[in-house]
Amino acid sequence: MEKWNKKIDYFLFLLAFISLLVALYLTFIYSRIEKEMGIIQKIFYFHVPGAWVAFLAFFIVFIASILFLKNKDIKMDIISHASAEVGIYFCTITLITGPIWGRIAWGKWWDWLEPRLDTYLVLWALYIGYLVLRNAVEDDFRRARFAAVYGIVAFADVPLVIISILFLRKFMPHPGPIIFSRGGLTPDMKLAFFVSLFAFTVLFILLLRRRIFLLRIEEEIKNLKNKLGR
Amino acid sequence: MKFFKSIIILIKKDVKTELRTKEIFTSMFLFVFLTLIIFNFAFIGKEINQNLMVGIAWAIFLFASVLGLSRSFIHEKDTGCLEGLMITPTDRSVIYFGKAIGNLFFILIVEAISIPMFSLFFSEESFLRSPLQLFGVLFLGSLGISSVGTLLSAITINTKARELLLPILLFPVIIPVLISVVKLTIYLVTADPFINPNFWMNFLIVYDIIFLLIAFLTFEYVIEE
Repeated sequence: MEKWNKKIDYFLFLLAFISLLVALYLTFIYSRIEKEMGIIQKIFYFHVPGAWVAFLAFFIVFIASILFLKNKDIKMDIISHASAEVGIYFCTITLITGPIWGRIAWGKWWDWLEPRLDTYLVLWALYIGYLVLRNAVEDDFRRARFAAVYGIVAFADVPLVIISILFLRKFMPHPGPIIFSRGGLTPDMKLAFFVSLFAFTVLFILLLRRRIFLLRIEEEIKNLKNKLGR
Repeated sequence: MKFFKSIIILIKKDVKTELRTKEIFTSMFLFVFLTLIIFNFAFIGKEINQNLMVGIAWAIFLFASVLGLSRSFIHEKDTGCLEGLMITPTDRSVIYFGKAIGNLFFILIVEAISIPMFSLFFSEESFLRSPLQLFGVLFLGSLGISSVGTLLSAITINTKARELLLPILLFPVIIPVLISVVKLTIYLVTADPFINPNFWMNFLIVYDIIFLLIAFLTFEYVIEE
């Protein structure tokens, strides 16, 4: 089992490495420069996959939290911990690349009228809170329970945040910057985008597995120390 | 039936302790009053329009609620009352509902006293134009705050940081409530035709139901030892 895990990780590492290289090539050399927005549009190939992976990560936190409360299996707690940590990085990528794009497209770093940006800001705050909560509890089992409850509360909040922010501006006159109009992607742009999406997802799975592995070792060391009575 | 009876007994207990100590109510009310003064001086020389006033009012209510919510379990914890409640032969969710309704009660009273005060200080009578609808909005909004807040307060009280952590966990979760109550209150005050009150009202009700349900299902894991 342990051997197989290692092999899978090596395979994932190679896959992530190669697909990221290909994604970089497709993004910067192969795909065309978008006519209206120019070179800045290329952020799209990192921004959107980052957003997708962050969402996937937080969804895993949610599922693992429910499973933990159901079965009280500490493995599930480790999964949600690892997933939240890795997810925060991808969420941060989204939050950094968004304003960089916005600076060129809208002429300002942050636009409170843009619902996606707002949603990811709240998402980021929710899961930073999740990690802060984890840090603030010493007892393992108690921490797992609290984190699981907050993991459920946070994810249940996500659709509500999205709906409320979307409708917040609905009846207001909003010039509406045309964000990555979906129909407007040419085949070469589509290829670059999907390869990048794949690369980000593989990278996420790899990072998640490595983090889970590390957390398991930490857990084991703690158990061994307890056994030795230190 | 026994379920509701136990909840009422718990609320009575909270109200009675509050009437004796007057701790939560006084601090919440003074907080609202002082923040109102602070805001007035902070915005000196600037015209405070109705929309801004509504926003200020709800921001203050939210902060004051956090103050009350964070106190609500500290007393129980420090006096060992929570352990006492846990060994009573009732469902754990009874403790949650008792606390949540108690908190809702305190928040509503503070809001009810503060609203005329806001009208007075901002010399704005439109706040009191439709008191019944306003009460409905206050009720649903405060229910949202207390339903999530009570659950999170029970969590944070058992952490190292104690009540310091509550706003960090609560604020991002409460954003949809804040948006909808501000929208609804602005609608009541200015009758803004661009706001659809039915949508926000239903949204608020859905929010309250979702989080009451989640808290009902998960509360036993929070206080289990």
